[in-house]
Amino acid sequence: MRIGLLTEGGYPYVGGDGWLWCDRLVRGLDRHEFDVYAFSSGEAQEDAGWVPLPGQVRRVRTAPLWATEDDGVVFGRRARRRFREHYGELAAALCAAVAPAAPEADRFTTALHGLAELARDEGGLVSALRSETAVRALERACRAPGAQRAAREARVPDLLAVAAHLERALRPLSLDWYEEDGLGAVDLCHAAAGGAAALPGLLAHHFFGIPFLVTEYGVRLRAHYLTRPDSPPAVRSLLAAFHGRLAAETYRRAAFITPGNTHARRWQERCGADRAKLRTVYPGMDPAPFADAGDSLREADPHTLVWVGRVEPAKDLVSLLHAFAMTRAAEPKSRLRIIGGPSGPEGAAYLGHCRTLAAQLFPDEADGPHTVGDNPVSFEEPGAPGPATSADAHAAGAVTVLSSVVEGFPVGLVEAMLCGRATVSTDVGAVVEAIGGTGLVVPPRNPRALADACVSLLRDPERRTRLGAAARARALELFTVDQNVAAFRGLYLETVAHTPVRHPVLDDTGDPLPFAAPAEARVPGHWTTDPGPRAVPRWAMDTPVPATETAR
Amino acid sequence: MSHLGELNRGPSPGAADPVKALLHRHRDLCLRAVDPLEIAAGLEAHGITDRTAARFRHRDVFSLAEELYARVPRDGDPPHPVPPSAAPFDRAALLLPLLPGAVCAASVTALRHTDGGTRLYAAAAGVLALTLALRAVLRRGPLSTPAHAPRPATAAWTWWLIGYALLGDGLLHLAITGGPDSPPDGTGGGHWPLTTAPVLALALACAPAAWTTHLFSGHARRRLGSSRGLEDFTASVRPVLLGTFALFLLALTALLTTASALLDEPAPLPGTLTLGALLFLARLLMAHGFTHAPKVILTLTAGAQVTALATVFAARLPGCAALSAPVETLTAWHPAAVPSVTCGIAALTLLVHASRRLPRASAHLPPGRAR
Repeated sequence: MRIGLLTEGGYPYVGGDGWLWCDRLVRGLDRHEFDVYAFSSGEAQEDAGWVPLPGQVRRVRTAPLWATEDDGVVFGRRARRRFREHYGELAAALCAAVAPAAPEADRFTTALHGLAELARDEGGLVSALRSETAVRALERACRAPGAQRAAREARVPDLLAVAAHLERALRPLSLDWYEEDGLGAVDLCHAAAGGAAALPGLLAHHFFGIPFLVTEYGVRLRAHYLTRPDSPPAVRSLLAAFHGRLAAETYRRAAFITPGNTHARRWQERCGADRAKLRTVYPGMDPAPFADAGDSLREADPHTLVWVGRVEPAKDLVSLLHAFAMTRAAEPKSRLRIIGGPSGPEGAAYLGHCRTLAAQLFPDEADGPHTVGDNPVSFEEPGAPGPATSADAHAAGAVTVLSSVVEGFPVGLVEAMLCGRATVSTDVGAVVEAIGGTGLVVPPRNPRALADACVSLLRDPERRTRLGAAARARALELFTVDQNVAAFRGLYLETVAHTPVRHPVLDDTGDPLPFAAPAEARVPGHWTTDPGPRAVPRWAMDTPVPATETAR
Repeated sequence: MSHLGELNRGPSPGAADPVKALLHRHRDLCLRAVDPLEIAAGLEAHGITDRTAARFRHRDVFSLAEELYARVPRDGDPPHPVPPSAAPFDRAALLLPLLPGAVCAASVTALRHTDGGTRLYAAAAGVLALTLALRAVLRRGPLSTPAHAPRPATAAWTWWLIGYALLGDGLLHLAITGGPDSPPDGTGGGHWPLTTAPVLALALACAPAAWTTHLFSGHARRRLGSSRGLEDFTASVRPVLLGTFALFLLALTALLTTASALLDEPAPLPGTLTLGALLFLARLLMAHGFTHAPKVILTLTAGAQVTALATVFAARLPGCAALSAPVETLTAWHPAAVPSVTCGIAALTLLVHASRRLPRASAHLPPGRAR
């Protein structure tokens, strides 16, 4: 099977968002071919280069979404009129003050397809999208009766800002990927993110009927709401309408939608995704580095709590330190190791604050009158002096603690689960979803509850072991690379099974050849090679004569 | 992250309307939001989850956000103040356009005070320095093209037009009278005179060109903020464009008169003014991303001048004497008729084009980034 992998700012570039899972997916599905269609997110990323690509990646095509390249395409009179019509429809669909479930969704779709066809016929839209025609169409739509209140108040700079943003967002339309030998040649498109990355999939579906899958670990629409809080209301409402309708259209056309966690799933449902198409596929982690730590439960210091992660205010270490003060009052031998570097200048300031607080809360202590004292709370950077890997970090303690107040998918928690450690975490983000019943969960910002949970685990080694084993089993079942890859393999096959063969094979005279592409062509591996002598059951050989010729 | 402190406090016990307290806490977010999803995204960023929402007797964050959105009074919203977009003011970029004038003045002085082979070297060095100075001016500051626009190949034609202003009329007269017999000697006199005053004036005019362009862009940007609609904007910017153009012509006239007086040369006013107008308008259009029309017009103008010269030389071929008649008639009517007519028509065309294109709002879109 040939899969078109659509990414934005990630694979195959080094260090982009989510490149790791794409890499594991591509390497895991080595019986399929991959065509990678990637948008780069900036010049720095392009300079950083690609990750080494395995042999199953047949082709990589990239396009920058951040750079404007004036294509110099000049439209004729008819093309200009088509552009005016379609862009006007698009603008009207964005300005209409009705929920996206209404006929506006169809209007948006029609306009988007119209623009895509125009771009394909004329060779590019960039100049047109920056032209006066576009700005005028926007103005007309904003001033039309029935427009949203915020849109009606749009001023000239707002119109220009919206036009510039739409030009950037619609750049995928002008690409030359929608050819028979480009995206038309793949069996299936898999968009690694929503938004711009899904747009080529949407267009391939429109032009060639190619089914597509959308995977979202974080919902793009939500990110758009958070990116421009300072823009005027008119700009925000028009762009929110655009991204909302694009997301709804993507979800409507996708064969399957795979959110990475329940939070993403809820947003997708909210934006109009059909529940029947939703399949939650948890991000996969490589369990191999944690295997040793999971087996060596005995080595852990039974009095040590460990916190692992990047230090930033959202992790709420202050609450953790207060909780530890209460824990220590109940269990004087307990220690806390905070392992992790600061993230950014804000994180560095927060780390300094936490160090000061720890020094104030816990005086240095020594075993006897002749030994050098030490603080029960230690701050360690991962690497040279501290534990080398995150598996070592989790292995260093009996209990792993997570005290965040804001969290997405808790990767650190899953690592602790893979190490077979008992965990105490706060009820934020996807924590409950990840931990299930295999760890203790307390409300965020409640040091007393956190302390009580820690004390109960520190005092009960047997429970700790039981919870750790259960957590490990759960993580190995749900959060491994294998399950992630297997889930996508199944989804690919299911998607393609629902899609009839579309490629008509032509003979020399240009007539279609019937049955030229059999269903077996999609079976992974080489189906035409001879598998060798078949094992024939003896009863089949013992009866060489057909029983009754006349019975047929 | 400054709101972390107010997370999950939930309703105070016994409060009749728990959502009211939440509304008060996130008032800015709710007032600003354009739809309930924006409030939901904001609340989630502040750490409110479905379980928190349950405490406010809501099924999830979305329905809580919907209630907040519905409860915020939205009638008396003050209009969003449009912050005046500060023009990027680069002092160096505004002083840089003085450089070509200075270089050109130095070159002309050097030409006047040298002779023979030294003069040739001085001329070559002057041309080289002027090229570099012009490149620097056109790469940076108000006269530079936006990064995303294709770089048009107009340099060759621009140099031809300037070269014609320097040498062309002399060559044309020589050609009509049967010359030239030797290369120009680099002086204002001689049989093939160099007219340095127009070139010096044009080089000096780089500075007013950059300043007036800056003035125009800044004015247009201010008008963007204060205009109600696109028509309104176009109507208010068009007079500014014409005013800018007139200001530049005035400055060029003053510079040319001064230069001619200093160099003791006649002031070829029509030819230089039309050429200056043409180059200024072409650059103004290019600086706003319209590169196609200037390229075509500059090519046509230079082509017309080349043709004019070529017809005069071609008339020497047997049987082709009639070819030079139009040019000879024009030159007899006015010695500088060829450059004046060609550049004049071109400048007029570009002026009409610019007065239609530049007052449009789309000409002032924020520039895109280049690859």
